Amino acid sequence: MGQSRATLLGLAPLAVLLGLWQLATSGGWYTSVLLPAPIEVARVFATQWPALLHHVGASLTRVSVGIAMACATAIPLGLLIGRFKWLDEVTDWTIQIFRSLPGIALIPLAILFFGIGDKPAIILITLAAFWPLVVSTIFGVKSVERTLLKVARVARAGDLLVLRDILLPSALPSILTGLRLAAGAGWLTVVTAEMMAVKSGLGYYIMYAQTTFRAEEIIAGILTIGAIGLLFDQGIRMLRHRICRWQEGLVLES
Amino acid sequence: MSLLELTSVSKTYRRRGETVHALDAVSFSAQFGEFICLLGVSGCGKSTLLQILAGLEHADGGEVRMEGEPITECHPEASVVFQEHGLFPWMTVERNVEFNMKARGVGKTERGRVAHDFIDRVGLAGFEQRYPHELSGGMRQRVGIARALTTRPRLLLMDEPFGALDAQTRSVMQSQLLELWQAYRATVVFVTHSVDEAVFLADRIVIMSPRPGRVRSIVPVDLPRPRDRADPRFGQCVGEVLALIHEDLRQLVGA
Repeated sequence: MGQSRATLLGLAPLAVLLGLWQLATSGGWYTSVLLPAPIEVARVFATQWPALLHHVGASLTRVSVGIAMACATAIPLGLLIGRFKWLDEVTDWTIQIFRSLPGIALIPLAILFFGIGDKPAIILITLAAFWPLVVSTIFGVKSVERTLLKVARVARAGDLLVLRDILLPSALPSILTGLRLAAGAGWLTVVTAEMMAVKSGLGYYIMYAQTTFRAEEIIAGILTIGAIGLLFDQGIRMLRHRICRWQEGLVLES
Repeated sequence: MSLLELTSVSKTYRRRGETVHALDAVSFSAQFGEFICLLGVSGCGKSTLLQILAGLEHADGGEVRMEGEPITECHPEASVVFQEHGLFPWMTVERNVEFNMKARGVGKTERGRVAHDFIDRVGLAGFEQRYPHELSGGMRQRVGIARALTTRPRLLLMDEPFGALDAQTRSVMQSQLLELWQAYRATVVFVTHSVDEAVFLADRIVIMSPRPGRVRSIVPVDLPRPRDRADPRFGQCVGEVLALIHEDLRQLVGA
């Protein structure tokens, strides 16, 4: 009941946008070469779906590999930085500098170093996802309840047990928030990187459609990107709901 | 020889440029199996003292010895029950109770068996798979006590464990704690600011006075257990302790 209401409310602005779009095309506000009717775009989905699926697969693979690599490095590093003050002091400035660099700004450099292909794209996604993950992991570790660390000290718990059984679960809600940001950053980077550095993926599809003056394909590509972004975000929310069950009733749903 | 021996323990720390004398030459001892209450108003250093006994903080001067050995870090034979936030919110009751054993490398089956036993002893059978936020305040403290007892400590340190509980729950918990103490015979050092609680629980009450934290006096409570709050001798003892504390407070506020 509440769920269907939320779905309905979530869809409402999208329906309004669709209506405006239809109005704009049937009113002839722009030439159909620039702004094709919704039905034209729907036709792209109906006829080109195998190609679209192929590009979606390429983009998704890059984002997934990139984010997985970022998780594998950023989370352990963040746990250690949050745990050991000296490490925090050593790395703080460096992290602050690098996390404000947009991953996109590194595309030219990445192409110089790694050429055209999957490699530069994946490395850029990893980098883009790395910083929000490491920052939110550090934040999560630092906000652990102090008494729990005292409990661990009195129990004479070793560093590994403290990291795995206390700091990681305590930081998990914050890490998942970081993952949401990382997914956003990764997705942003993949599309941009594909526009320049690769010959497949949704970014490439959109760029190619532009060079051939197919506005309906550009819009279909954009809609696909948006839909996947939404699915990613919902997926991470569900993940959070599942693995942070202990948090229910402790914090307000965000 | 006593289990615990404190000699001239002192502690100062700086807070916002000001030097605070948390503890000044605190000395007392605790016998094997004795129940000691540290009683005093807030700011008398009783919690700081407990942290030192737990090995979580270091004294600047003086010495704490347990069975003749100086305590410099967390002692393997000591356990602590904290006031609040002492349970891991992401662990079930069972896993919380197992934690101290896990930290000591006790095997999984043995851990499960002992945890089960203690969960049963504190009256939480059937709640093993619950999370702390699903429990009442009293139940949460029972989990904390069960966890502290699993390693069979010789010294049990308790930092206002019932401070956040309502009066009824509190008195039930006090009786239950005494039963457990009598069964396991640990030496207990229990911090409280409630005179009633101290008289109900303690063999001896160490009354502390604030600024700097000092031992004001040590009052033995010679009432038989289980103690009855309606007993006139109970009220008399409460009155004596209160009088000592009030004297300090009057000096403090300059009245």
